[in-house]
Amino acid sequence: MPRVIPPENLGCPPIRALTFDSLGLIKVTEARGKERGTPTVVNTWGEMNASRTVLAASIDDRLRNPLLAVARKDGNVEILNPCNGDLHFTYSVYGDDGCSSEENEISALHLFRKKIDEQAERSCTLLTCTKKGDVSLRSVKFPDAHSDSTDDASIKTWKACGSGEILVGKVDGSENFSLFGGRRVEATIWDLEQCTKIWSAKSPPKDNLGIFTPTWFTSATFLSNEDHRKFVTGTKSHQVRLYDISTQRRPVLSFDFRETAITAIAEDPDGHTIYVGNASADLASFDIRTGKLLGSFLGKCSGSIRSVVRHPEHPVIASCGLDRYLRVYDVKTRQLVSAVFLKQHLTGLVFDSGFTGEETAVANTVVESETEEIMDQEEEEIEETPVKRKKSKKEKRGREIVLEDKADEENEDEAEKAPVKTKKSKKEKRSRENVPEGEEKDELRSKKSREHKKRTKKVKHNQED
Amino acid sequence: MGFKRKKGDGDGEEMESEGRGKPSFNGGEKRHVILPSMIKNKDKRSKVYAKQKHEKKLEKQKKIRERDAAEKRALELGEEPPQKMIPKTIENTREADETVCRPDDEELFADIDADEFNPVLRREVTPKILITTCRFNSTRGPAFISELLSVIPNSHYQKRGTYDLKKIVEYAKKKDFTSLIVVHTNRREPDALLIIGLPNGPTAHFKLSNLVLRKDIKNHGNPTSHEPELVLNNFTTRLGNRVGRFIQSLFPPDPNFHGRRVVTFHNQRDFIFFRHHRYIFETKEIKQSDKGKDGAAQERVKPRLQECGPRFTLKLVTLQHGTFDTKGGEFEWVHKPEMDTSRRRFFL
Repeated sequence: MPRVIPPENLGCPPIRALTFDSLGLIKVTEARGKERGTPTVVNTWGEMNASRTVLAASIDDRLRNPLLAVARKDGNVEILNPCNGDLHFTYSVYGDDGCSSEENEISALHLFRKKIDEQAERSCTLLTCTKKGDVSLRSVKFPDAHSDSTDDASIKTWKACGSGEILVGKVDGSENFSLFGGRRVEATIWDLEQCTKIWSAKSPPKDNLGIFTPTWFTSATFLSNEDHRKFVTGTKSHQVRLYDISTQRRPVLSFDFRETAITAIAEDPDGHTIYVGNASADLASFDIRTGKLLGSFLGKCSGSIRSVVRHPEHPVIASCGLDRYLRVYDVKTRQLVSAVFLKQHLTGLVFDSGFTGEETAVANTVVESETEEIMDQEEEEIEETPVKRKKSKKEKRGREIVLEDKADEENEDEAEKAPVKTKKSKKEKRSRENVPEGEEKDELRSKKSREHKKRTKKVKHNQED
Repeated sequence: MGFKRKKGDGDGEEMESEGRGKPSFNGGEKRHVILPSMIKNKDKRSKVYAKQKHEKKLEKQKKIRERDAAEKRALELGEEPPQKMIPKTIENTREADETVCRPDDEELFADIDADEFNPVLRREVTPKILITTCRFNSTRGPAFISELLSVIPNSHYQKRGTYDLKKIVEYAKKKDFTSLIVVHTNRREPDALLIIGLPNGPTAHFKLSNLVLRKDIKNHGNPTSHEPELVLNNFTTRLGNRVGRFIQSLFPPDPNFHGRRVVTFHNQRDFIFFRHHRYIFETKEIKQSDKGKDGAAQERVKPRLQECGPRFTLKLVTLQHGTFDTKGGEFEWVHKPEMDTSRRRFFL
């Protein structure tokens, strides 16, 4: 039966998405208007050069002075202003000599949201990780003008893996811990303050045929912003795995999704829904508590999904990938809201959550109506000056409101968030208490492993059923 | 028969009876229009149908005659002839597609300049093709491959043996091949073509059908070893452009026009038709009696085509990013059932 789409679902809430592509361009797509906006490409930044392919991007969409960090294929990391695309600062990961850029590409980038020192307005902290496992944590200060600014006060570097390739790097919501994983690299959790490894995963046992699947993580995400102990990973052997640091080193839950590598995973703020995209263009949502498929997102998507992002406020997710389309889906109905053709292979996507479409839309309509009457010369002035003022004022207001909403939502989330299993929550508490002592930990672990066996048996039974 | 026909003339009477048969259908009001499908007697119904059809035919003929007459009159008077109607086909009522390449698109050209086929098409590298088969091939498979070898210049055949395809890809990379073609055979009939760009180009998987070998083509010619000219038709969308460039990168970029050999890839409704021809320009003297057109031209050059080489149809199944890797590879394009909601939607 063809599903009938109710007409009120069509139309996009006001969103602002920045997509990054294989030519190194950054495209800004905005949907304006209150309800029924259609996203259109508003701006394109950067010059077209294949060696400047964007590999990773991270945004800090705070109220004042938002920042966007972009890692390129030639090893440069750029810090931009996500509102107008102004370049603040650039540096190369490989240092001045700039060697070994072929094999050692950047695989992960994170822009820290919390401020290290409140006084320095124009500074930021960046975590970068290359494929060979060179992690560096550096804070960068940049002045207003384009003068020299390489005041790298603190660079912490360490090696996250001995061999293999790191393909995934994520930083949790509190920004104290990071997660790395990749090809022949097990998922590991690092403490960013001490730069020490605090936990590493164990590969799952051989299957019933005695076949061992090699480790190859392709995507990962932390399950919720507050909790760094639970995270979900996707592997090249089309498995989605849930890990819980506080219980065991092997995955708590794992299930298969279709037949190609999992390339993108995103979490929902409700704490138990995840969105999974794979290399043959399937996108689906799962309930991670049970591992059940909630439904798939059908949108005539034909190319491998590189990135899935959930909008922090509006109930939409966006996906982009090798089919050169940015697609926006409704979370509840799982219907395609809109698709925008962006011409290149897209490698990444971020939402600018500070964007509220209504005000700018109003401003724009005003401008348009005025420009019809007024001559061309005056047009520029009007477009430039009043719109900006309006935008800035109203956007700020909008953001404040939004923030309040956010706080409310978070409270609700906490209230709603029932623990996955009551047993587990108890264990978590215990383990939290026991983290410093090593001996008791071992005992616990043995218990856990026993329990894990039981659980796996249960799982098997379920599968047989 | 004659008797029946006579009876058929009185079908007005029969309609009345039909009307009488259903008085309650439209209240007391008498119906003037009675659909033939309401007639229950099959014999009579078919007669009514036949009559209707005949009338339609006559009408159509009349219309055509009028149109032709109008055209003729316009020609005689030296006026503009009325515009010819364009028939509706599936192609020209195709669904609007925003991915169709436009010649003024800078980003498109920048993207094209950065793609994997560019070194070959910019003549920095001469194409060198490795052709191999699936594990088991017989009868039509080898015959098809020998003809492919004659079509594609600088192509080499290697026995497949029992090697993994990934190993073969590695080998071909080491030997500086630019593409690898795998002819897949099922039930002794070639049914798929896998084209892998090397060293990091995409992998295209085509379904192959309607294969006609050279010896089965009537009046076929034998191709020469000149570099062929290449005709790529209708590769309009972004995906089509990419596939077209991929096919283009299999052939040397500068054809030898003395050879007068053409290889055609014609895309129609997502099916890619392959044809291989030789052509010749013949100068023919026109006989005096044949002066219907212009009359003055005594000699005219007339191109003639002769088909040679295999004839087959390709349909794209998947296009994969990177070289062959079914398990972990990323697909640039896969066909999904949800795309089949319209027969007027095409992807190439």
